[in-house]
Amino acid sequence: MVDPVSATTALTPEMITASQAGLKAVGAGLAVGLAGIGTGLGEMGIGAAAMGATAENRDMFGLALLFTVIPETIVIFGLVVALLLLF
Amino acid sequence: MLAPRQMSRLLIAGTKEQMGAVIAELYRHRLFHIEDFVGQEEYAGFKLGMPLAGATEASNDLITIRAATNAFGVQADSAPHGRPVSGAELRRQLQAELPELDAQADELVTRRTRLETRAKDLESRTAELEPFASIPIDLDLYRGYTSIAVLAGHIPADVAIAAPHEKAYAGGKKGGFIAVFTPIADREVVERQLLDAGFAAVRIPDETGPASEAIARYQAERASIEKEIEGINRQLGNLKEIHASFLLAADELLTADVERAEAPLRFAVTDLAFVAEGWAPSSEVPEITATLERVTNGKIHVEELEVDYDHDSVPVEYNNPSFSHPTELLMDVYSRPNYREVDPTLLVSIVFPLFFGIILGDVGYGLILLALSFLLRKYLAGEGGNLLLDNLRNAAISSTIFGLIYSEIFGFALPWKPLIFSRHLNIGGEAHGHGPDAVPMLIIAIWIGILHITLGRLISLVNHSRMDHGKHRTQAMIAQAGWLAFMWGILFVIWSMFPIPLMPNLGAIGGPIALGLNIAGILGVVLILIGIAGIGQENALELMELPTIVSHVLSYARLLAVGLSSVAIAMVVNYIALGMFINPALENLTPVGIVLIVVGIVVLLLGHTVNTALGILGGGLNSIRLHYVEFFTKFYKGGGKKYNPFGMKRLYTTEE
Repeated sequence: MVDPVSATTALTPEMITASQAGLKAVGAGLAVGLAGIGTGLGEMGIGAAAMGATAENRDMFGLALLFTVIPETIVIFGLVVALLLLF
Repeated sequence: MLAPRQMSRLLIAGTKEQMGAVIAELYRHRLFHIEDFVGQEEYAGFKLGMPLAGATEASNDLITIRAATNAFGVQADSAPHGRPVSGAELRRQLQAELPELDAQADELVTRRTRLETRAKDLESRTAELEPFASIPIDLDLYRGYTSIAVLAGHIPADVAIAAPHEKAYAGGKKGGFIAVFTPIADREVVERQLLDAGFAAVRIPDETGPASEAIARYQAERASIEKEIEGINRQLGNLKEIHASFLLAADELLTADVERAEAPLRFAVTDLAFVAEGWAPSSEVPEITATLERVTNGKIHVEELEVDYDHDSVPVEYNNPSFSHPTELLMDVYSRPNYREVDPTLLVSIVFPLFFGIILGDVGYGLILLALSFLLRKYLAGEGGNLLLDNLRNAAISSTIFGLIYSEIFGFALPWKPLIFSRHLNIGGEAHGHGPDAVPMLIIAIWIGILHITLGRLISLVNHSRMDHGKHRTQAMIAQAGWLAFMWGILFVIWSMFPIPLMPNLGAIGGPIALGLNIAGILGVVLILIGIAGIGQENALELMELPTIVSHVLSYARLLAVGLSSVAIAMVVNYIALGMFINPALENLTPVGIVLIVVGIVVLLLGHTVNTALGILGGGLNSIRLHYVEFFTKFYKGGGKKYNPFGMKRLYTTEE
């Protein structure tokens, strides 16, 4: 363990880089996770309605699928931001 | 190619004597899409035709056949596909065998129904008797009294009754059963006390002797009935074996008879003549005309009518090279193309597998999917299933090719370096290379998006120029050009401000002229303004859609993102299985180590199975979504009517 006193006084460049990398990883995780929640909330209502519509009329399947995956874009954006953060 | 098959509107008119021959000939050729007569104005004086002679008989026979088919449990794909039988032979067979077969099936089914009813009856009686079995009183002692009332039923626990009575109680796990004998005068008092204790009365069965004996008797009878039902089912099964192909062939023959006999219901007729309107592929019109004239000795009038595209809905038949046939399924899921618009099936059939491969580029998964697309053919019978598997096959081939390019097999590297971009992640600390080329791939994905959407808008220009008229046509085309200008304007502005790898660096052209923008930037701003004006002049509300330009283009980033996440899952599975279980155990082999190796193998198999399933979903759904949402919304109208020619694809019978 690093002595707490020396940790605050002597912040080495390695430690700064490491903590930056760590925060980047946290940010990437948050980007995907939060965007995923957003997508989930969006698809929740659409998915239920799409199921109902398809149950009543099987021809609706294509359109229903289309509507359901529209919010998918949000999580893809999250994923892209995460990838840009990491690489 | 890129357009549906060309159709001609045909009018066939003749005398009623010729109607039978004409219908038979049209049915045989399976080319004429009948437009139903619904009393249109120009047909004043015409009425609906009557079915041909023999329609009722054929329908009745068909019902008999279908009843037998149901009784034997024959299914269309359960019978062996033998040599098709000739229609004439089948008719003789029908005459000779149908009545007997029908009687046989009817008799067996009636007997089975009767036995099943009896079995149900016995079952409910047994259930009624069961509680009485726990009380040792003969059933005839429960009734036949003049001064005593009998109450029997379920009760949670035994109860003390404050009135003259005799009772028998039998306890059980879920409450007990009680039988109370009391003078009729005290009945009400006793009943109230019982009800307060949670009593639920049951009917006293109409039986004699001990209840257990009656139950045993009924159970024996039920067992014998069940054996008998089994025998009947076996007999039906045998009959199915013998008659399945005959029934299916007869069904086909009679269905054809009925369809032919009922065709006049879709024609316009007068007392002496008939008129049929419909559609046929233009290339086949001379052939149809010639055969109709031949069978009627020229006593028929076949005319090609002019098509009014605004009012007639022309049936749409795809016209694609055989390579694109499977994709027609994906098109029909969305909507069949309109007759006059560009049919993008060919484009989708090329781009869809490409997208799939870009996302799931892995030799291992590709080969697994390729194998699946052949193995599943047994289970996914039928035309739709086969087309779906053809799509999977094309996607799997593309995935394998991209796997070779990316140098990936189940998340491991192949013995060569990735040919263009690396997707190898640094998982498990075994650093090799510089990690994935995420940024260049992202930019390539965006480029694909820009070009795909531009293509969509260009097709839209063609569609509007074909389908619209007059002022509206000009407005719509300007609006489409406006969308293009807007998108490329944004790109010019971005390119002039930020240097981006793999994209033109327009910032290097010259210094800022105005507003801090250089010449390319100014050009971009002008394009954006022209675009907004172009879109707005058609419909100002459309301007609300402007941000979708950005989101739709960025949406193509999924080509990289979904693929990279699939690689990550594969590599994590490999790391857990090999790096954490198998390799450490192999270094120092102990009995515990063998268990660890087994666990590692299970993780490996399970992980890759899940990832294969995710790969199909991720690759397939995202690729098709890019088409449905980002590409089709730019130009595709759909809503075409399916071309459904009058006739039948014969499977079990041959023409007579």
